[in-house]
Amino acid sequence: MDGLGERVLSGPALWYLNRGTGVVLLVLYTLVVVLGIAGVARRPGVRRLPQFAVQGLHRSLAGLATGLLLAHIVTAVVDTYVDIRWWDALVPFGGLYRPLYLAAGALAVDLLIAVILTSLAKRRLSDRAWRLVHLAAYPSWAASLVHTVGIGTDVTTPWLRWILVGCVATVAAATVARLVRGRVVAEQA
Amino acid sequence: MVGMSHIGAIPSADQVEIRAGARLLASAAYPGSGSELATHRRTWPDPRIGGPSGRLSADVLVEQARAIGLAGRGGAGFPFATKLAAAASSARLLRRPVVVVNAAEGEPASAKDFALALTAPHLVLDGAAVAAYALRCTEIHIVMPRERPAVRDAFELAVAQRREAGERLSWQLTETGPGFVAGQARAVIEALSGRPGLPVTAWQPEAMSGLKGRPTLLSNAETWAQVGALAGLGVDGYRQLGTPREPGTTLLSLSASDDRVEVVEVAYGTPWADVLGGDARRPALVGGYHGTWAAAGALSSLAVSRADMRDAGLTLGAGVVVVPAPDECPVAVTAAVTAYLAGESAGRCGPCFNGLPALAAEVGALARCNTGASYSRIAELAGIVTGRGACAHPDGTARLVRSMVTVFDDEVAAHLGGVCRVAESSSRPPSTAGARDD
Amino acid sequence: MTDSNEVGVLRVDWPACMGRGVCAEVLPEIITLDEWGYPVIAGGGAVSAELRDLAREAVTSCPHAALKLLPPRR
Repeated sequence: MDGLGERVLSGPALWYLNRGTGVVLLVLYTLVVVLGIAGVARRPGVRRLPQFAVQGLHRSLAGLATGLLLAHIVTAVVDTYVDIRWWDALVPFGGLYRPLYLAAGALAVDLLIAVILTSLAKRRLSDRAWRLVHLAAYPSWAASLVHTVGIGTDVTTPWLRWILVGCVATVAAATVARLVRGRVVAEQA
Repeated sequence: MVGMSHIGAIPSADQVEIRAGARLLASAAYPGSGSELATHRRTWPDPRIGGPSGRLSADVLVEQARAIGLAGRGGAGFPFATKLAAAASSARLLRRPVVVVNAAEGEPASAKDFALALTAPHLVLDGAAVAAYALRCTEIHIVMPRERPAVRDAFELAVAQRREAGERLSWQLTETGPGFVAGQARAVIEALSGRPGLPVTAWQPEAMSGLKGRPTLLSNAETWAQVGALAGLGVDGYRQLGTPREPGTTLLSLSASDDRVEVVEVAYGTPWADVLGGDARRPALVGGYHGTWAAAGALSSLAVSRADMRDAGLTLGAGVVVVPAPDECPVAVTAAVTAYLAGESAGRCGPCFNGLPALAAEVGALARCNTGASYSRIAELAGIVTGRGACAHPDGTARLVRSMVTVFDDEVAAHLGGVCRVAESSSRPPSTAGARDD
Repeated sequence: MTDSNEVGVLRVDWPACMGRGVCAEVLPEIITLDEWGYPVIAGGGAVSAELRDLAREAVTSCPHAALKLLPPRR
């Protein structure tokens, strides 16, 4: 049994799991961010998906992604092939394996924790405070992109490159759309 | 009447006529005497010493205010005793109350607080000082309108004299910005907190939690003058004027037939016919721009009395009375006032900044005898804006419009049919009120 | 009139309300929208026991924290 355990821990299984969760996380968090941006009201009457549904989807996907994130971190730490300690997931310096890109991942996690905690305690915070911290989702997502580009082994493959482009494009488009819509709404008022 | 082009215009100092009165405005008979502390003290006792009952504790002041039924003079007529009691019981050792004298007088047709500042500033400040001593606090704010600079000069001088005389209260003077809603209680507290002077939602009355979360006893300048008079005269002395049910006097701002405003002091129970003379038989807007219309002749059978007015479906408000000229159609006047009020929305609450302009447009169309005007749409809009805002601005505007519809149903019906009877009978062209953007 | 079934009162913080209308989606039983998209709260905001959970969700769903559930009136 020990032999099997050792082989699992040093073999490629955990590595594949880590890379797999990493890619899925990239897409998932991009979706979460886009859903968060897209929650702005359109003019009354022009509604496709109800806002509370978009909100609910945003929250559910974020929860799912966080669970996957834990798996992503655990597989990286437990894998004996690379020297990643458990605190490397939180502390953005002093890492041994590709320290810059590992740090980007840690930064993404740190910011995410702030977002999650404030959202759980939303009722107790002022609207402005909650909103300010929630904006940290943007740099968190950007840091996760940097992390992917540098630490991943798949980044040289075309399919991951297309995924990365797609993620950036959708978030950029959603942001521009919201800014434009925001100005229209403000002018109407 | 204050001509329709003057709706919204703050009267300048020379447009205001202050008539000497029996109590608050007594010193108007001797111009300058009320502003001089030494002269003032010949009639009114120093709050540090007190009147017949000596220095008043909070409990005693509450009791006395209740005994005379002292109602706020800012428009809402809220019982002062209740506010004072709330502030007193919300006070803590390290959370001292704050007293605020609201002389902002955002209502353009009102000039009574202006009159008090010029003729009896010390009586106003005496009242505030009495409350501060009763609440055992020292911080008193005076809020003054930037658009009536004479008020600021008057209170600055008065405060300087009091400091010289050794009064150890912390008087802080603040000017409000322009605007109808700038005098609203929460808007004032916002201005005192260094934020824009506009209304915000209040989850607790400011007497319990106001400026910086402290119990804030905010009252109109005339209310404070009445408190000063009560403290100086005692309950029995105070009851010498007015009626047994409504003791005391009240200040009224009467808009005369040109663009002048007359400020008079009237004992409760005085018939309107004595106050307005022949004008009491004409239709009149009572209670200011958020008030209600009195039909022709309605006032001549009534007295200046909160209860009387309430029973007749009218509201005394802050004592503003506007009597349109005979050739001025009340529908047109209402349209002009509504358009002004719509422009004075703070722009913070959706139902208000959307609903009031829509309402003003409808009433304006009605005033112009536009047959496309819809009575049901007016009623609908008045209903939509009521109770859906951080302050009572939309409610007051809706009240004005509803009262026009009720009191002048004949005129409204004529306008819906495309005819303005007042314009016809005076051979004037129908009103263009509300047709211009401003 | 006190309704013994009233477990809370919904109030709008009007300056904070941006007319997003999420509350009306969650709790259409009590909240409808006026012609400009702002909430109209029926029944003075009284929330019955059956609607309590939905009312709480409506409060948290407001993106500007402009809806509050206050304790019932006596």
